[in-house]
Amino acid sequence: MTQHGGKLDSPPSSWPIAQQNPGFAGDTGEFPNLSADDVRGISYVGIRPEDGGHPSVAGSMPYQVPPKQPEGPIFAGVYEERLQKVLSRYPDRQAALLPALHLAHELRGHLSPETMDEVAERLQLPPAYVRGVASFYTMYNLGPVGKYLVQVCTNISCNLCGGDAVLESFLEHTGTEMGMVSEDGRFTVIEAECLGACGFPTVVQINERFYENIRPEEVPAVLDSLR
Amino acid sequence: MAYPYRHPSEVLVLSKYFGDPEARTLKGWEALGGYAPLRKALGMSPAEIVNEVKASGLRGRGGAGFPTGVKWSFMPQKSDKPHYLLCNADESEPGTFKDRELIRWTPHALVEGCLIGAYAIRAEHAYIYIRGEFFEPAQILARAIEEAYAAGYAGKNVMGSGIDLDITLHIGAGAYICGEETGLMNSLEGRRGEPRIKPPFPAISGAFGKPSAINNVETLIAAAHIVQNGADWYKQWGTEKSTGTKLFCVSGHVKRPGNYEVPLGFNFREFIYDVCGGTASGRPVKSVIPGGSSVPMLTADELDIGMDYEAMAAAGTMLGCGSVIVMDDTTNIVKQVRRMVDFYAHESCGQCTPCREGTAWAAKILRRIENGRGTQEDLDTLLSISDNMSGKTICVLSDAAAAPIVSSIEKFRGDYLEMMHAGAGVPVAAAIAL
Ligand SMILES: Cc1cc2nc3c(=O)[nH]c(=O)nc-3n(C[C@H](O)[C@H](O)[C@H](O)COP(=O)(O)O)c2cc1C
Ligand code: SF4
Ligand code: FES
Repeated sequence: MTQHGGKLDSPPSSWPIAQQNPGFAGDTGEFPNLSADDVRGISYVGIRPEDGGHPSVAGSMPYQVPPKQPEGPIFAGVYEERLQKVLSRYPDRQAALLPALHLAHELRGHLSPETMDEVAERLQLPPAYVRGVASFYTMYNLGPVGKYLVQVCTNISCNLCGGDAVLESFLEHTGTEMGMVSEDGRFTVIEAECLGACGFPTVVQINERFYENIRPEEVPAVLDSLR
Repeated sequence: MAYPYRHPSEVLVLSKYFGDPEARTLKGWEALGGYAPLRKALGMSPAEIVNEVKASGLRGRGGAGFPTGVKWSFMPQKSDKPHYLLCNADESEPGTFKDRELIRWTPHALVEGCLIGAYAIRAEHAYIYIRGEFFEPAQILARAIEEAYAAGYAGKNVMGSGIDLDITLHIGAGAYICGEETGLMNSLEGRRGEPRIKPPFPAISGAFGKPSAINNVETLIAAAHIVQNGADWYKQWGTEKSTGTKLFCVSGHVKRPGNYEVPLGFNFREFIYDVCGGTASGRPVKSVIPGGSSVPMLTADELDIGMDYEAMAAAGTMLGCGSVIVMDDTTNIVKQVRRMVDFYAHESCGQCTPCREGTAWAAKILRRIENGRGTQEDLDTLLSISDNMSGKTICVLSDAAAAPIVSSIEKFRGDYLEMMHAGAGVPVAAAIAL
């Protein structure tokens, strides 16, 4: 369902609740004529080029799991091109560290110690320094996660509207424990801090996409749509 | 038309085109008068722009409310060092979701705001630091930046003016503290997002050790409107010291959640009951947080105030970033405070002992109270921890964490005591496990 060619996917039309619940693109409230694509800007963005496009935005595609080339070289082909563009935008090499880690993460699905060392070598930074930085940020997974990383916001605005129950429901329907990979390798469910979409509770981020206004009873349909 | 609900009391400046997919595109934006402000700005001197913004009274919309024109005037007038404009699009304060709407509906407004801001402080490069979770808004913004470059609004010799203005989109990687201005600078430089001790202030030594100004998304977009229409036009709204309009993000137990744009000084009670339709359940309001989780809570009796920086301060709270969280009378205040403190404990960067230890211990004590094993002494301990956390650290995350604790104990002490009573029967062994 999630494509990794640089395209934002839209929900399939067979999605039963997409019609009933505009929340898949946010509560469209008094704008019922807006489609999910309109709200999410899909037709505007189109397909982003693999080489990152213009250098000003070449670091803008931190795709989450699943990995594209778990064993492949990080800095080769279009990815090396993307790194070169990123490097051209900052006064020093170190500033490219976060984008470079995003790039490595996108390719390999998580940052293993070896991957971090490769990034360190490429940017000529001490390996321990790179690990120290990578471990500071929550979006870099330091170990493997499921094909779909489900992050449920349980912070205050979502919590007031039932975020805890949505989290429970995801855990129940994926049959996993918090932070673990499900047996079939498909899901990892974790609790997230505020995702910055508090008016559309409960907010759930699955890989790079936000699902909004999710109620506990809608969880099975959301999961089905990912299969 | 603010999104997703609208109200006749709104004044639409920043949010006028929310819900209009056409406004997102370069063509659509130009047809609506887009990039005229940039053209006008390039015909002015940087000092003229700074003076106009200063005269408008615009105050930073990222939380602290510092006057934008004054901040810009701190930037060195003459210097051979490069300067940088940093746009803070890290938006992670619980309850806040305005920058996301601004970016996804009107990305060109932000591109234009950054270009004008950069020119005003004599910077040749603007970095937009957007939180990594905002993948979709970032894709929209990336597209808009590419369009701006292709149309000659960004890059070398902008619109034939001889001025170079670059703009780079920088994606964060998940950390609330990178929204703090110096934490953001460290993160941009490829470090852990740990706030820096000030001074030196960013205007002297900011990103990459160079003079930098940092502004919120909403601030920069408002500045573009001021350049286009003038300071007096902007001052027609708001109060004497809190001028203009502002986006308010409304969430929680509210009938019509979303973003609303009203003039500063708007009556808070009217805002909640009329504009937002009151509570979703129709039940009484118990508490409202007016400016995001980092500001003190108000009770339902304290809502007859203006939505401006001064009136909020007089009421013992802050306007913050305008994130209104409404709680009805079914709310378990202790649980919600604990949840907020858990957040700060998770997001503390760990450099300062009062913050690192204080947030963690306060969260543990609150959890114990929530589980029915609290004592009255715990409240004193919480207040003492909060006191140690306030005004003693590198950044104000620590103070922010103390705000909900102190205000809730002051205003909802009864709720705490009730929970202690409720838990009286829990066996001691279970209590230790908590
Ligand atoms: C812990 C912490 C988090 C912050 N997060 C943000 C944020 O996400 N976005 C933002 O614009 N400002 C945030 N701020 C405020 C910034 O430090 C800074 O004051 C602001 O970006 C300045 O822009 P303004 O003058 O336009 O408001 C945060 C401050 C603190 C202490
Ligand atoms: S107050 Fe907290 S978040 Fe801020 S610098 Fe100190 S430890 Fe870090
Ligand atoms: S509280 Fe859930 S998105 Fe902000």
